[in-house]
Amino acid sequence: MRRSIAYPLAAVGAMLSTLAVAPTPAQAHGYVSFPPSRQALCAQGKVANCGPIQFEPQSVEGPKGLKSCNAGLAPFSVLNDDSRAWPATSVGTSVTFSWVLTARHRTTTWQYFIGDRMVAQFDDGNTIPQATVTHRVDLSGFSGRQKLLAVWNIGDTPMAFYSCVDLQIGGGAAPAPQQPAPAPTSRPSTPPPAAPAPAPTTAAPARPGGTAWAPRQNYRVDDVVAYEGRSYRCRQAHMSLESWEPTVTPALWLAL
Amino acid sequence: MTFPRRVTLAAAALLLLAGCGAGPAASADGDPAATAPAAAYNDADVMFLQMMINHHGQGVEMAQLAEQRGSRQEVKLLAAAVVTTQTDEIGTMKSWLQEWGEPTDVDRAPSAHAAHGGLPATGETELAALKTATGRQFEQQFLNLFVGHQHNAIEMARAEATDGASPQAKELATRIERSRAGQIQQMLGLISG
Repeated sequence: MRRSIAYPLAAVGAMLSTLAVAPTPAQAHGYVSFPPSRQALCAQGKVANCGPIQFEPQSVEGPKGLKSCNAGLAPFSVLNDDSRAWPATSVGTSVTFSWVLTARHRTTTWQYFIGDRMVAQFDDGNTIPQATVTHRVDLSGFSGRQKLLAVWNIGDTPMAFYSCVDLQIGGGAAPAPQQPAPAPTSRPSTPPPAAPAPAPTTAAPARPGGTAWAPRQNYRVDDVVAYEGRSYRCRQAHMSLESWEPTVTPALWLAL
Repeated sequence: MTFPRRVTLAAAALLLLAGCGAGPAASADGDPAATAPAAAYNDADVMFLQMMINHHGQGVEMAQLAEQRGSRQEVKLLAAAVVTTQTDEIGTMKSWLQEWGEPTDVDRAPSAHAAHGGLPATGETELAALKTATGRQFEQQFLNLFVGHQHNAIEMARAEATDGASPQAKELATRIERSRAGQIQQMLGLISG
């Protein structure tokens, strides 16, 4: 019961901020997460220097009927730049696309284009989509590297959301597994030789035990790290993130 | 962006403000003589904390499912860390609201959400979808849902960073924005992995 209002409230929050001057990005929306769209690759950090799209891959919204990767939005023009060497995902001729949605709008259709040709269309009849959306699209007739444009046509506004997906078609049935984040078993990076506890930018580490805490490391229970002059013991295995520093995550790190 | 329901929502937002953003003056059910320090905060802070507590609770439920039913170790570890950190943050956020003499639960403004009739009740649908999925399909569904969920958290946090007044709440919002961006990054990698 409580749950049921979370999203409407999120929407209200977004609106509130709009009322109050805030240049907050538009609320909501969605993009293709697999095979990864260009904005997903930017958000994931696999393609660098993408600009603001990195932080809001869900916001590629424009009028219906466009054929561009950026919905005509200048700040997202990197998405149109074919010279960026976007990694293409290897797929067979039948591909299942999945979407991340941050708000579920009434939907007329989902369309998939290669060049000017519409290769698939799914008609939702102006209903609200499921919580997760996937479509199986037949791409037989295509091979090699292709740029596919996926479009989510909203039912109750004139707008649509656009995602370009780079594919390498015909390499076999299964997408080539890409290297996921570091292997879960790996220890936090071995201490750099010699260097006595490289100080995390801020001043003043006394000589705390353990290697310096860093983001994107797999820490295991009882690993000891140094952060801002103190030592911490890992209480729960996790991959560290920026802003999960030991000072602010007492649930993950016990100060020693 | 140009959604016609904006007007309705704006109205709903005002209602909600009226309903639960009692403001710094005096709490409805406590001694107005304020035991808590006269912290500087505004309605946006109160809204943010109440909404975030709710949003976090929903996230914890989803992550708990993933902790049990995920197949990859990385997914399970991430889910477990989310459960731990978000539960912790819920406690912190509740304590601030209590200090301010504000309700911690958005449900205490029932009239406010009656106005949301046009919007889908996403939370329950999401959980229902997750509960029926299994194996690798479960993981993909969880990851896609949770990425969307954390995008929402970032949107709420950004609004707070702009509109809030309480330094501690704004600092939490900044932290939420950054850590959720990190989680999204990791999860998008897992979706492709």
